[in-house]
Amino acid sequence: MAVDQQLSAVVVDDHPAVRAGVAHWLSSGTPPIRVAAAGEDVGVAWVGDGAEADVVILDLHLSGPNPALGDLRRLVQAGRRVVVYSMRADDDIALQCLELGALCYLTKAEGAEHILQATRAAAAGLPYTPPALAGALAGDRSAHRPALSARETEVLVQWFQSESKDFVAQQLGISLSTVNSHLERIRLKYAMSGREAPTKAALVARAIQDGLVHLDDL
Amino acid sequence: MGESRAAADHVHATMRIALLCVAVVVPFGLDLARLVENEYRPTWVAVTAFTAMSAITATCAVWVVRRKPLPLGVVVVGTVVVLTASVAATAVLPPDGFFRGPHWSFGQAGWVLVLLLLDRVALLVTAVAVHLTANVVQFLQPGLPGPAEIGAAGTVALGTVSVQLGVLMITEMLRRSTRQAMEVAAERDRMVTRVALAEQWEQGQRSAFAGRLGVTLPLLADLADGVLDPRDDDTRRRCALAATQLRRLFAENDDVPDPLVHEVAACVDLAEQRGVDVSLAVSGTATPVPADVRRDLTAPVVTALSAARARARVSVLRTDDEVRVAVVTDAGVEVDAAASPRVEIDCGTYGEHVRVEARWRWTSS
Repeated sequence: MAVDQQLSAVVVDDHPAVRAGVAHWLSSGTPPIRVAAAGEDVGVAWVGDGAEADVVILDLHLSGPNPALGDLRRLVQAGRRVVVYSMRADDDIALQCLELGALCYLTKAEGAEHILQATRAAAAGLPYTPPALAGALAGDRSAHRPALSARETEVLVQWFQSESKDFVAQQLGISLSTVNSHLERIRLKYAMSGREAPTKAALVARAIQDGLVHLDDL
Repeated sequence: MGESRAAADHVHATMRIALLCVAVVVPFGLDLARLVENEYRPTWVAVTAFTAMSAITATCAVWVVRRKPLPLGVVVVGTVVVLTASVAATAVLPPDGFFRGPHWSFGQAGWVLVLLLLDRVALLVTAVAVHLTANVVQFLQPGLPGPAEIGAAGTVALGTVSVQLGVLMITEMLRRSTRQAMEVAAERDRMVTRVALAEQWEQGQRSAFAGRLGVTLPLLADLADGVLDPRDDDTRRRCALAATQLRRLFAENDDVPDPLVHEVAACVDLAEQRGVDVSLAVSGTATPVPADVRRDLTAPVVTALSAARARARVSVLRTDDEVRVAVVTDAGVEVDAAASPRVEIDCGTYGEHVRVEARWRWTSS
């Protein structure tokens, strides 16, 4: 039974070294995450063991210069929980991925700890906001961006600047769990604005259940 | 255009003074004697014509001696009066007087016309042509003279008109070369101004550079004098600071799309060369930041990075109303928080982390 409860992920990346590295990080985490399948093509997430995996770790630049946003959209529409894993720290693309329903946008400059946390959160249907993504959200100047409170913005900025939640908590005089719930609330606000996606709907539904937001807020 | 106008005014005014002398000397030096010597019928017509032309010359003198252009009214009335007086004076010439001594009015009228119309080339040529034609018609009216007379008259008429038109051509040439000379002089003045400005700028750059070299010069002097020991940690820290300042300074004038990030990256580069593990994150769309604000924004980065021991996180964030540059590192630094009036500097120590942040509100400035 213990094996069944172990989280599983499918890694889609065109570089064998990256696939091997991510697989190693995931499997050596505590608790370890099983890599159900790995491949250079997104097809590996649709068939065989990959189709059953809890989380899809998707490299956005598989082949060619254009990001695989279509693949991301199809996976999210099928109800898959996707962590985008990209070479590029491009704010616009990061925001676009969130808009499409990705639960996390992680740059390859960010290390093992972030990919483990992002994968665990995604497996539970929760968002994870690594520092680079926090920077993208803080710097978001699009017209339809959700309104964030001053405290929420400060949490985003400090997290982006320091890469340490302990630091943010100390700096702002709040607890670690408050830092996390601020980040979660911000992602919830983003999920409630813009286009529909199953992962976003699940996020909002869960937030209502947990009492994080009220129906009135919608 | 103003310059060419001024050049023309200058040449015309000077030429008119010369012409005024001609228009005074010729009638009173030569023509008056002829008027007295020869017989005109009736005499009063010739005397009135002479007086009228002299009056026009005198009227012109009012403006010419003050180097002012002639008013249009004076020009129009003067031209009409001169042409009429000339025709009248020619009409009362003795029978064989055409284009000879007694025909003083031909030359005088021509000079007064040139004086009147010097700055209106087309009108002057037309008026001279009309004048010549009228006189020739009057010459031919009584009946066709013999070839010798026609030859003599033609020589005098064309000779006189040529000299008068010659003056016009000289004036035009002078006007053109004066304009060129003025243009060259103006261009030279502009060059002189530019050179002066460039020298001033260079002087400014030199002193600014010397000022921004900061701690480098005294440090080098102390190292050279043996006052400082390069093995000393504090000396090394000061060297790192000087090197980072210099590196940032060199990056300052580079022509790059995002100068702020370029300067921050230059500081990061140097820290990495020292073996510090630095992560640089940039977020938000590039915003134009003035050079002096960039200097204030990067100054804390320079200080914090040169003090960093093993790790540092550098971030640049551009939001819709501010630019925030922050360094989170593992070593204490002293940053002058009140160093800049435009940039807000925040510095704090939290556990093993030291955070220095410079914020600039770009919407308010």
